[in-house]
Amino acid sequence: MSRAPMHRDGPVAWLTTTDHKKIGILYCVTAFGFFLVGGTLADVMRTELAETGRQLVTPQAYNGLFTIHGIVMIFLFVAPFGIGLANYLIPLQIGAPDMAFPRLNALSYWFFVGGGLLVLLSGFASAGGGAQTGWYMYAPLSGLRYSPGVGPDLLILGLALVAVSTLLSGVNVITTTFLMRAPGMTMWRLPIFTWNMVVTSILGLVAFPPALAAFVLLLFDRRLGGFAFDPQGGGDPIIYQHLFWFLGHPEVYILILPFFGVITEIIPVFSRKPLFGYTGFVLATLAIGALSTGVWAHHMFTTGEVDNPFFSAMTLLIAVPTGVKFFNWIGTMWGGRIRFGVPMLFSIGFLLNFLIGGVTGVMLASAPIDYSVSDSYFLVSHFHYTMMGGSVFGIFAAIYFWWPKMTGYLLGERLGRAVFALLFVGFNLTFWPQFVLGLRGMPRRIVDYASDLGWDTPNLVSSIGAGVLTIGVLTFLADVWFSRRRRTPAGDDPWGGYSLEWATTSPPPEHNFSSMPRIRSERPAFDLHHPKEPIVEAAEAETR
Amino acid sequence: MRFVLRYFALLAAFGLGLGTIYWFLTYEVVGAVVLWCFGLMPLIVATWWWRQGTDPATEASDDPEASPSDAAGKTVGSFPLASGWPIFLVLGVIVTGASLVYGLILAPAGAALLLWAIVGLARESRP
Repeated sequence: MSRAPMHRDGPVAWLTTTDHKKIGILYCVTAFGFFLVGGTLADVMRTELAETGRQLVTPQAYNGLFTIHGIVMIFLFVAPFGIGLANYLIPLQIGAPDMAFPRLNALSYWFFVGGGLLVLLSGFASAGGGAQTGWYMYAPLSGLRYSPGVGPDLLILGLALVAVSTLLSGVNVITTTFLMRAPGMTMWRLPIFTWNMVVTSILGLVAFPPALAAFVLLLFDRRLGGFAFDPQGGGDPIIYQHLFWFLGHPEVYILILPFFGVITEIIPVFSRKPLFGYTGFVLATLAIGALSTGVWAHHMFTTGEVDNPFFSAMTLLIAVPTGVKFFNWIGTMWGGRIRFGVPMLFSIGFLLNFLIGGVTGVMLASAPIDYSVSDSYFLVSHFHYTMMGGSVFGIFAAIYFWWPKMTGYLLGERLGRAVFALLFVGFNLTFWPQFVLGLRGMPRRIVDYASDLGWDTPNLVSSIGAGVLTIGVLTFLADVWFSRRRRTPAGDDPWGGYSLEWATTSPPPEHNFSSMPRIRSERPAFDLHHPKEPIVEAAEAETR
Repeated sequence: MRFVLRYFALLAAFGLGLGTIYWFLTYEVVGAVVLWCFGLMPLIVATWWWRQGTDPATEASDDPEASPSDAAGKTVGSFPLASGWPIFLVLGVIVTGASLVYGLILAPAGAALLLWAIVGLARESRP
C-alpha cells in the first residue's frame, strides 16, 4: 500500500483536494456535523413538547426550530451523506482512478458547504427574524408580507446552492459510471450501490431544476417585486406547490435509494450468499426512479386542485417495486449463514423500520385517509419511519461497514452493538407514540397543547425516546473516539466483501488500484479471494 | 453502450408518455410541462449517444470477457490532486447572491470574485 506523503494530509491539502476519496470523507463528515445540529434542534423541540405548558422556547423560535431541523436533516445530512458515499465508493466499485470531473467534484462539495452555512444562518442569525415557514416554504407564507426578515432569503439562497451542488454531483456520478468502468465491468455487473446512485443522480437532475426555478421566482417575489406566487398580483401559490413537490417527492427517493444500495451491499456479505435476484433488483430500482416522478401531488391532495385518483394510483403503484426489493433482501437472507455483525444489525433495523414507514405510506396514498391525517403527527411519524428509521439506519450501517476501508482500522464491535440497541429502541420509542398522537388528532408544528386531549403520555414517551436516541449518537461518537485511539488494524477485507473496493488496500492508494483483478461477475472481490468457491456456493444456494 | 442508449431512450419515452397522459387527464399545465421536460432531457442524451455511435473508450467495459490488459495504454482522463478555485468560485456566488438580500452594493465585489475564480479554474483546467 502506498501511503500519501505527510504534506498531502494537512488542512490546506484537505480544503483544496480534488481526490474523490477525500471529498467523499469531507462530504460524510460535514453531513454528520449537520446531523448533530439538526438532532440538537430536535431535542429542544422534544423537550418543549414533553409536557404541556412548558415554555422552553417562544412559539416563533419553535417555528424556526422545525423549519431548520427539517431542511438540515433532508438537504444537509441524509442526501449529502449519500453523495459522500458515492464519491468515495463509486470509482472504487467500478475500478476507476477517480471521478470523471475532479474539480467539479470539489466545486459541488463547496456549494454544499456554502449552502449549508447559509441555511444555518437563515435560522439563527438573520436580521428581522429567521425562517419560520416549514421546510417546504409555501407561498404566500414565505412571501415578504408574512415573512419580512432576511431569514427566508438566506434560506432560499442556501437551498439554491445545495440544489446546484446536487446537480453537479449527479453529472459526475452518471458520467463516471457510464464511461469509466474497468474492463469487464458491464452494466449488469455493477454493484447495487452504484446502480442505486446512478438512478438517484438521474432523479436529482430531473427533480432539482423545477425547485430551483421555484426558489429563484420566490426570491424575485420577495426582493425584486415579482408576483409569481402572489394572488394579489395575478400569481398562483399552487404553482409553487407543484414545482416544489416535483422535487419534494422524488427527493424522498433521492434520500432512500442510496441506502437501499448500502444494505444491499451488506446483506449478501453477512448472509454469505449472492444477492437473490440481481436483475430484478436493478429493474425494481429503475421502476422506482421512473414512477417517483409521477407522485408529487399526493402532497397536495387536500388542496382540491389536483387529480387525486391519478396521484393515488401512481403512489400505490410505486409500492410494487419496493415490495420486490423486500423479497430480494429476505430471499438473500433465507438459508444464508447469517453473521449478526453491526452493519448487518443496522441493515435489519432498516428493514423493520422502513417496512412500517412504507406500509403507512401506502395508507397515506389513499386520499380519504390522507384527508383525515394530513398535517397530523401520523404524517410526522410515517416520514421519520422512512427517513430516519430507513436512511439514518442505512447511514450507520454504511459507516460500520466501510469505516475499515476508509481508515484501515475497525470500529468497536461491542460499542457498535450498544449504539444499534440504543438507536433502535430510542427510535421506536420516539416515533411509534407519534402514530398514536396523529390518530388522536394532534397537529404537527404546534408548540404546546392542552392537557385533556390524551396527548400527554405519548408525548412524554416520545421525548424520553429522543433522549435515548441522543445517548445512542453520543455512544457512537465515543466508539469513533476509542477506535481512533485503539487503531485495531482491519486488514484489506475484514468482512469477506464482494464488490471491487474490497480488492484493494485499506485505505486505498492514490488512484485506487495498484493492480486490477479480472471481473467475471458482480462479485469480483469474492471471485478474487475465493477463485473456485462462487460456483459451489451458487449451486448450494440453488439446491436449498 | 447500447444499454445506456436504450436506458435513456426508455426514460425519455416514459417522461413524454406520462406527461401526455397527465395532460389529457388533468389539463394542468405546470405538471405536464415538467414531465415533458423530464422526457426531453434523456432524449437529448440518447440522441447524442446514438449519433456518437460506439465509444471505443467503453468497449472494454461493455465486453464481459475483457481483461484489465485490454485497457492498457488507453488514457482514462487527467486527475489533478488539488485546486483552490472551487472555494473562491462558491464564495463569489454567495457574495453575489447576498447582494440581493443585503444590498446591491455587494454585487460588484461578488461578480469580480466570481469572474476571477471562473477564469482561474478555466486556465487551470486547460490541458
